[in-house]
Amino acid sequence: MVIVELQDVRKVYPLGKVEVEAVKGVSFSIEKGDFISIAGPSGSGKSTILNMLGCVDRPTSGTVLIEGRPTKDLSDKDLTTLRHETLGFIFQSFNLIPVLNVYENIEFPLLLGKNGPKGKEKSEWIDYLINEVGLEQWKTHKPNELSGGQRQRVAIARALVTKPQIVLADEPTANLDSATGTQILDLMKRINREMDTTFIFSTHDAKIVNLADHVVRLKDGLVEENVRQERKD
Amino acid sequence: MPVLIRIAFRNLLEHKAKSLIIGILLGLGVIILVVGNSFMDTAAQGVKDTFIANYTGDIFVAAKSKEAVSLFGASSMMGGGDQTKNLPYYDKVMAKLRSTPGMIEATSQVTGYGMAALKGYEDVDKDENSTNFLLLFGIDPSTYYKLFTTAKPVMGSLLQPGQSGLVVSKATYDRLSKKSGVQLKIGDTIVVTGMGHAGFKIRSVPLVGVVSFKSDSEATDFISYADVDTVRILSGLTLGNDDDTPVTDEQKSLLAANEDDLFSGGETVTTAAKTTMNKPAAKAPAAAHKVAQADTGAWYFAMARLKNPRQAPMVIAGLNVWFAKEGIDAVASDWKTAAGPFASSIDVVRIVFNIAIIIVAVVAIIIMMNTLVISVIERTGEIGTMRALGAQKGYVRRMFLVETLAIAVVFGLIGTVLAFGAVGILNALHLTASNPFLKILFAGSVLHMSINPVSVIWSLVLVGFVAVVAHLYPVSLALKIEPVRAMQAE
Repeated sequence: MVIVELQDVRKVYPLGKVEVEAVKGVSFSIEKGDFISIAGPSGSGKSTILNMLGCVDRPTSGTVLIEGRPTKDLSDKDLTTLRHETLGFIFQSFNLIPVLNVYENIEFPLLLGKNGPKGKEKSEWIDYLINEVGLEQWKTHKPNELSGGQRQRVAIARALVTKPQIVLADEPTANLDSATGTQILDLMKRINREMDTTFIFSTHDAKIVNLADHVVRLKDGLVEENVRQERKD
Repeated sequence: MPVLIRIAFRNLLEHKAKSLIIGILLGLGVIILVVGNSFMDTAAQGVKDTFIANYTGDIFVAAKSKEAVSLFGASSMMGGGDQTKNLPYYDKVMAKLRSTPGMIEATSQVTGYGMAALKGYEDVDKDENSTNFLLLFGIDPSTYYKLFTTAKPVMGSLLQPGQSGLVVSKATYDRLSKKSGVQLKIGDTIVVTGMGHAGFKIRSVPLVGVVSFKSDSEATDFISYADVDTVRILSGLTLGNDDDTPVTDEQKSLLAANEDDLFSGGETVTTAAKTTMNKPAAKAPAAAHKVAQADTGAWYFAMARLKNPRQAPMVIAGLNVWFAKEGIDAVASDWKTAAGPFASSIDVVRIVFNIAIIIVAVVAIIIMMNTLVISVIERTGEIGTMRALGAQKGYVRRMFLVETLAIAVVFGLIGTVLAFGAVGILNALHLTASNPFLKILFAGSVLHMSINPVSVIWSLVLVGFVAVVAHLYPVSLALKIEPVRAMQAE
């Protein structure tokens, strides 16, 4: 079942007096439960595509469909609601809220909506996620008291707390050492398998790309390769 | 605790320097407002209490005039008696005042001005700043002291009905004693030179008493009480004052001549002319007698006190309707009108204070705005992350509002506590008024402020308002932050 689809998507950025075409007509689709890597060197357009998939940016032309809904006609409010209900985000720089502790950071997305679990159900769900990412001992710690890997684990738990259909991870291992990066990818993959959550992550690291089931390789704003690899459980 | 409040307080602690800058501004604002308003309120209440209890009562009635009329006369305190009109239909007005429900008593007064000297003594005090100036209240003791009970004799007694004489304040007594070089005694004759619209009048009156007031003020220092006829004469309210004196053509021609004509060319003024000039003098004793005879029906003002002073505006309105209906050219007003320049001086100070507060508020808003803008710029990633995670713009707006209000409440309360402390310290210092203006502001010789809870609440509301205004522009910047900013590596 296709959960995300890009149809001839272009993105042009103004850069001073000139325009830069970061994405030059990209089309591909992502199946539900995919563990997909959008790979490519710097400047290939992978972050731009991830931004459009995450509904934080709009294409100049073409269509982005999330669960069959085109995003280009949605208002800011509807896009925000779509992000909250359907998408989870894992950022390269972790982007945790510095004044909130681990538990509160994970809880935060639930406080932005009305449909999430409440009371005991909520706390049990957050505790479950904390256990899943192995941070039971760090629950009350602030982000600045955690290592990079621990912070990214918090970000993963936060991305999953609203039970989104899709989790977007923009170079999730870029700020981590290679061992920690592998652990984070392993964690993401385990959750992908356990929860059937679609994971879309961008990377330029060839070793990490190999962990994906589905690879979309970009070069100069175009799809160079779109391959499904043998599933590695 | 709701997450917004949690985030707000933790952000305040996280960004201590900025919180302190904004907080100190807000706290100082509260201190200035609470202490300043306390000072203003104390001065205003002090002047009000002093004037109502001592001189004006709750209701003040005077003849209608183009000039502003106060207890001190028309237009101005000094010499205002020149233009003050007599209260029309005096008996009818007094009867109406006394029959008005809720009235304690009504009395009337003539105000005059004069210079005093102890008979037989010359001024020995040559200090230019010392004065023997008198603000003379010509009163009817039978009703006046029922209305105004705060004057207590420290020497002699108060004026008795029908008694002619002078009762001076303790400050005036001390000044006159210093001027004449001897300690005045009860029964001493005081020569008062009145300054009215008919020119200078001189009367000798015995010193009947020296009084002190419950609360002293600049006004009380100069006030002296005299029987009303003495003040009427000193102010020119006499029967013969307005009589026409017939002048012959010959006298008119002499008045028209200039000095050169009179003292040049060997011409002399004839004896006959002198005789002619002296002719009207034959009538002089009768006219002089009339001029020296007080117009016993003349009163400048009526004052009244109510059992419930809060009813004053309603009673005043009712009286003015009645005056209009009866065709009486009089107007009733409150103590503030009666107090004239004394009350308006407080208003002027309050206006100056309010203007200063507005300027300080604008400066504070600009500084706070800049500080908050820096805060928004620093938190661009955080705001972008929140937006990416699903926070609507309204959430971001509320988050900044809660942070702003949190800092306003915390530092507002700290400022309030410090303001109470500052007022306590100022009161403990027993600051004394070193000049007449300060004496008005202090509502007495010593500053004693009290904090009005309503004023504290208003100060906090105002500071909160300033904080909210200051956060509007930074919030508008925050709302422009796109969620894509979260995706950009820091």
